[in-house]
Amino acid sequence: MYDKEKDLIDAYIRGSVSRRGLIKGLGALGLSTAMGGVLLNAAATRALAADFDWKAHAGKTVKLLLNKHPYTDAMIANIDNFKSLTGMEVTYDVFPEDVYFDKVTAALSSGSSEYDAFMTGAYMTWTYGPAGWCEDLGQWAKDPAKTNPLYAWDDFLPGVIKSCAWNGQPGGALGSDDAKQWCIPLAYEQNNLTYNKRIFDANGLAVPTNIDELLETAAKAKAVMNGGYGIGVRGSRSWATIHPGFLSGYANFDQKDLNIDAEGKLSAAMNTDVSKEYHRKWVQMIQDSGAPDWSTHTWYQVGTDVGAGKSAMMFDADILGYFMNGAGNAEAGNLAFSAFKANAAAAAPTPNIWIWSMAMSSFSADKDATWYFLQWVTGPEHGLFGAQKMDLVNPARASVWADGAFRDKLSKSYPGYVEMHDASAPGASIKFTPQPLFFDLTTEWAATLQKMVAKEVPVDEGLDQLAESVNNQLKEAGLG
Amino acid sequence: METHSPLERLLRGIALTLVCLFFMFPIVWIVLMSFQTNETILRVPPSVVFMPTLENYTALITGRLETAAGTLNIDFMGNLWNSLFLSTTSVAIGLLLGVPAAYAFARLKFRGSEDIAFTLLSFRFAPPLLVLLPLTIYFQQLGLANTYGGLIWVYQLIVLPLILWIVRGYFEDIPADIEYAYRIAGHDFWSTFRRIALPLAGPGIAAAGLLSFIFAWNNFVFALVLASADKQPVTVGALAFVTASGIQYGQVAAGIVLSIAPTFALALYAQRYLVEGLSLGAVKG
Repeated sequence: MYDKEKDLIDAYIRGSVSRRGLIKGLGALGLSTAMGGVLLNAAATRALAADFDWKAHAGKTVKLLLNKHPYTDAMIANIDNFKSLTGMEVTYDVFPEDVYFDKVTAALSSGSSEYDAFMTGAYMTWTYGPAGWCEDLGQWAKDPAKTNPLYAWDDFLPGVIKSCAWNGQPGGALGSDDAKQWCIPLAYEQNNLTYNKRIFDANGLAVPTNIDELLETAAKAKAVMNGGYGIGVRGSRSWATIHPGFLSGYANFDQKDLNIDAEGKLSAAMNTDVSKEYHRKWVQMIQDSGAPDWSTHTWYQVGTDVGAGKSAMMFDADILGYFMNGAGNAEAGNLAFSAFKANAAAAAPTPNIWIWSMAMSSFSADKDATWYFLQWVTGPEHGLFGAQKMDLVNPARASVWADGAFRDKLSKSYPGYVEMHDASAPGASIKFTPQPLFFDLTTEWAATLQKMVAKEVPVDEGLDQLAESVNNQLKEAGLG
Repeated sequence: METHSPLERLLRGIALTLVCLFFMFPIVWIVLMSFQTNETILRVPPSVVFMPTLENYTALITGRLETAAGTLNIDFMGNLWNSLFLSTTSVAIGLLLGVPAAYAFARLKFRGSEDIAFTLLSFRFAPPLLVLLPLTIYFQQLGLANTYGGLIWVYQLIVLPLILWIVRGYFEDIPADIEYAYRIAGHDFWSTFRRIALPLAGPGIAAAGLLSFIFAWNNFVFALVLASADKQPVTVGALAFVTASGIQYGQVAAGIVLSIAPTFALALYAQRYLVEGLSLGAVKG
């Protein structure tokens, strides 16, 4: 029925017809773009099947534990292609993000064999991996007998894939030669500026390019916001307050959370002079132009306020700005994006990143079959489908970012997004030192920031106290 | 005849209105939110004037939620059904086991009765998270993980001690002489329990049933840890509206209205028994 169309799409997959030629050809055959997309995806599945025995685990079932997220929606929308490619069955449980990691921790810590694979953030694998709850996926990815030759490991953005690998040694460099690949990225978030172009244009505000300009612009924006405020950043007493904009700007001044000495001992690094200066500016920015209830702000409040026009800009995850620019938000279509380099003297932005990725449970009953799903869902074909047809932003593969249709889709509705990504991606990686006290120490850091903003403690003194407490905790844990 | 001056009546009316407004405001605000879109809810400044919409309820009932990131499939009605099934069945089983046990603890003095009663009460002291991990392992070995039966069993940790201790106090308050008189008239133990003790303890049993239903309904963590997504109650399901792409405040509000409706209706219907049952059961004569 679709022989001509299939031939045309197969030619595109082989590379003998350009994307423009494909669209023109499909049009001539009377096919809509949507139908063409379905056929294109099916053809990509056939191409995958040609080079690898995808049916090796036909008849088996893999069960997933997933977080309610647009990345999950993309996965579920494409899952029938995996089933027809492999003859495998996939079942899944999707839990809301608020309770998702409680569910994961309970399942893994009890040694439950119910789930074969699960979504995770890279930070979490610093606990799961050394505890023996998840597998080193490098064992499968580097085995040609078990991995599709088109999987293209080198296609992953280097900073992102390395951020998912750790050797388990406190302070060990992410992605080192002896690192274990605890998870493989689906997509990731960089932290940059999302600003309200309508408000900026109407008031002649320029997009800030360093921390001093950020303070100045936020203050000017607050003055014209009529009940709103200048800049949204997170402020709750949680590790999540440190990891987005705050740490991205901090890392841009070459500052670190922890030092590691020649013997591998860790010590606090956040009370240097440069760090104190950065903290002073950050605290002042929140006091002068931040949300009045900043200390309660999480991902949700920061995003909701910029989407509702209550704040003029935010320094947070780029994909949060992406979602807030969509339908259902008062400022839909008004948000724009800019890569942000806090340090005027730095060569490029250095965003800290959050990575939604897939990991394999060590208690899975059939790990080889589970790997078949994992290599498919983190492979280039699904990445392209998710990016083009769904909201799999920001994909973790360079080939997907090079795809014209994806870039066009972004540029059309999200001004500056592609440019922002391209400018900051080379410097994007996890800027934290991997170690088992990660959540405790970053939560204390956030608590110290709260005290500074509330003027309960001066910045210098607060950082010295924090460093002392961090050092004590590291020593008690045998890490310092 | 007691009379009130117009001024006194006016002041009394104002005071009552203020008290009602104070206590009812959160509920009224949530009901109003449930008829608004996210955009109108998040207006700066907020306003009570809006064009009402049923789209939040439609999304919940049809299971399709439109968000900035596209259409999300949600199973809120499934969650509501799970809550209803788990709570009702757990309370029914709790009453079936707890009421005779409460009677036994109140009327029959046997060795170790206080120890057993206190052990049952101690289930309420244990932090759920402390018992959940070992329970997960046992449930997997017994094949109870991810089953309604397993969840109903675990829910007895919530409902059974509550029913037992409330109803026990109530049975103790009923003079034993009434039962003795009935037995002297030639009736057996079972018929005395059924015809005398149970009807007299009715308000206490209703109060215990209602309270334990509310506790079971509000439980969050047991199903989250022990069951898969299709068996989650409304307390977990309601969190599906808090997504990475934003909080769907309208749907959260509509979800709250739908999820409090059964307990609200039950509480309104049974409030007379609840107050009477609790106060009589609590005061020793």
